[in-house]
Amino acid sequence: MPAPKRESVTMWTFARMHADLYRPEIEAWNDEQTDSSRRVELSLIGVQAMEQRMMSAFLAGLPSADLIEAERRNAARAFAGPLESVGFLDLTPYVERDGIMNRVNAASFKPWTKDGRIFGLPHDVHPMMLAYRADIVEAAGIDVSKIETWDDFVRVMRPLLFKENGERRTDRYLLNIWETQIDLIEAMLLQGGGGVIDASGVPVIDNEANARVISQIALWTSGAEPIAAEVSFWDATGHQLMRDGFVIATFAPDWMCNYWRKEVPQLSGTMKLMPLPAWDKGGRRTSVWGGTMLGIPRTAKDPEKLWQIAKHLYLSRDLAHKLYERGDIVTPVSEFWQDDIYDKPDPFFMGQPKGRMYINLAPQVPDRFSSPFGAIALARTQSAVSQLCKVARDTKATNIDQLMPKAREFLAAAQEDAMRHVNRNVFFADSQKAAEVTP
Amino acid sequence: MSSLAAPATLPGSSSPAPASTSASADRSRSVFPWLLLAPFLLLVLVFTIVPLFGATVLSTQQTFGPGTSRFVGLSNFRGVLSDPLFWTAFKNTFVFTLGSVCVQLPLALCFAMLLNQPGIRGKTFFRLILFSPVLVGVVYVAMIFFVLFQKRTGLINQLLAGILPSWDVGFAWLDQYIMLALILATLWQYMGFNMVYFLAALQNVPKELNEAAKMDGANWWKRFRHVTLPAITPVGSFVVLLSIIGSFQVFELPFLLLQGSTGVDNKGLTIVGYLYQTGFQSGDLGYASAIGWTIAIVLAVCAGLQRLLSAGSEVSRGGKVARGGGAK
Repeated sequence: MPAPKRESVTMWTFARMHADLYRPEIEAWNDEQTDSSRRVELSLIGVQAMEQRMMSAFLAGLPSADLIEAERRNAARAFAGPLESVGFLDLTPYVERDGIMNRVNAASFKPWTKDGRIFGLPHDVHPMMLAYRADIVEAAGIDVSKIETWDDFVRVMRPLLFKENGERRTDRYLLNIWETQIDLIEAMLLQGGGGVIDASGVPVIDNEANARVISQIALWTSGAEPIAAEVSFWDATGHQLMRDGFVIATFAPDWMCNYWRKEVPQLSGTMKLMPLPAWDKGGRRTSVWGGTMLGIPRTAKDPEKLWQIAKHLYLSRDLAHKLYERGDIVTPVSEFWQDDIYDKPDPFFMGQPKGRMYINLAPQVPDRFSSPFGAIALARTQSAVSQLCKVARDTKATNIDQLMPKAREFLAAAQEDAMRHVNRNVFFADSQKAAEVTP
Repeated sequence: MSSLAAPATLPGSSSPAPASTSASADRSRSVFPWLLLAPFLLLVLVFTIVPLFGATVLSTQQTFGPGTSRFVGLSNFRGVLSDPLFWTAFKNTFVFTLGSVCVQLPLALCFAMLLNQPGIRGKTFFRLILFSPVLVGVVYVAMIFFVLFQKRTGLINQLLAGILPSWDVGFAWLDQYIMLALILATLWQYMGFNMVYFLAALQNVPKELNEAAKMDGANWWKRFRHVTLPAITPVGSFVVLLSIIGSFQVFELPFLLLQGSTGVDNKGLTIVGYLYQTGFQSGDLGYASAIGWTIAIVLAVCAGLQRLLSAGSEVSRGGKVARGGGAK
């Protein structure tokens, strides 16, 4: 029996919160449509399952959904190969025609851009702050306004590592970071002026900035006097440790606030947010973690119609407000950033105007670039961090200068290994040659 | 069907069937089995032969994104064999295989022998208890062991801290000893499964042989060494081969226990994990296919060795029996 002809537009998303947010909007949109082919059907699909379906469709050149909301790592896999083989439609002409670049935070386009072409409409900015247990910190009389750099952070917070009798506590650490948490390591590298992929998509693991950051992480987690420990973000054990105050401060991109609100409501009224301490005085006070885009597959029919739906979902003021109210996520549409909604005090964070704090940091969010070699580059960087942590443990390191030479050595090996994959890729070599020839 | 129902021509019959009818019946007879086999052959062709051919072709190509591939000859295989990460994955997988085979199978045999003893009460109950972990999905096994091996709250660390006061409850089992954790998890899950094979083999050992050996004064060890072990060797070598194949294909358990990463210093990277990483995370399906073929070749060599050893032991046993028979 032949499959019934599909008339409406299908859309996939991987996040329940996004689906809950879009459903009423989509129903309202559908009610307004007299043409049934403009009606939208939304499906919520697990992130792994969606990636498999998306990539299978792209590899086989078959139709998938008409609109795909993809997470950064998943979308990057669709950006492999020459421009003409990217599974998503090049949205650059639409973005330029409708003047979207002037309305949206520039850094938010970067992960969805390949060789200067835009393949996705950004959903978010995801600036990162530090969430700390204000109840514990303030009870100890610590003034966080004195913290500007990571060195300040460790110095000012250090008393919390010790009991009143001077004995070091084993049930409290200052920071939630550990050697295998690659998302956080990447965020720290980006904040420190490094990163693992450059604008052309090539791994750039081995540099001074990265060496400094990973040396500091190794010292914090595995040095003679560790100040950081692992508290998993995603399971009940981690939530309990958070409630127990096992770590004082943890990394908080805007979406994490919503996760805690739902998963660890007991933290309400105990935490506050502060900008990330900088690596140097006057340096960047934020980073970035996560990201989502809305893309139109190349095989989709009537891209103009799909573009209109995409704009309705991602660029409307009403939905931007709902995204913040229900998901704590700041819109990338910078023209909405002045709206009052972002100034509302948030009781979860002891009345802080959380939205405004994130928006103030949004322009500082570092650029990050998508590349098919991103996964390899990150995996190799993580190996370098682990090797360095072992050195820090074995040598009982006390300062980063002791670790820097080894950090460079491990990063150089990681770079060499990642480049081995790049160099054996005949297509990438071709595109690099073409880029060199074309001025 | 009508051709099968046609009466056969009797010898010496005055009216022999026309030659054309006989040829048609022969043709039908030769075609009919193929018709019966056709559905199976079609499935094998579509789901085994064609993918095998496709994978072979793919292993000689470089892929980079949808619809982009180029013939690169044996370059993928050269790349795999000179890839240090592949050898790390190979070493990890080999250690896991060795641990699984050398720990799991002797234990499975021990339990099978215990449960094969006459006069043991509650045999069915114990069999069920030992076999039941096989019924648990790998995802649940991973979740159970993930909780057990947690740093501060995990049962293993809590237990050790209870016994040894100086034990660090923050000890990271999954970071430092991921292979041990994997071997233990697999032992828990599959030991009972292998035990059932051994139990079936033990129940087929002729009782008369054991009794005769006993009457000849053979002790327990000699009876095990010279009667039981040779009798269960065919099943044993089959179980060893199955375990090696299964262990070389390990993927889900480390992937879930390490939450998608390959662990500290790639200690949890297995060959199939590396295949997944290159094929589905980096999009290099040709390279992944070459890794797949490399595993297939290793496993084919293992299977060949197993057959050679089995054949050797059969010949050796056959020789002994023949010599024994001659002596009588």
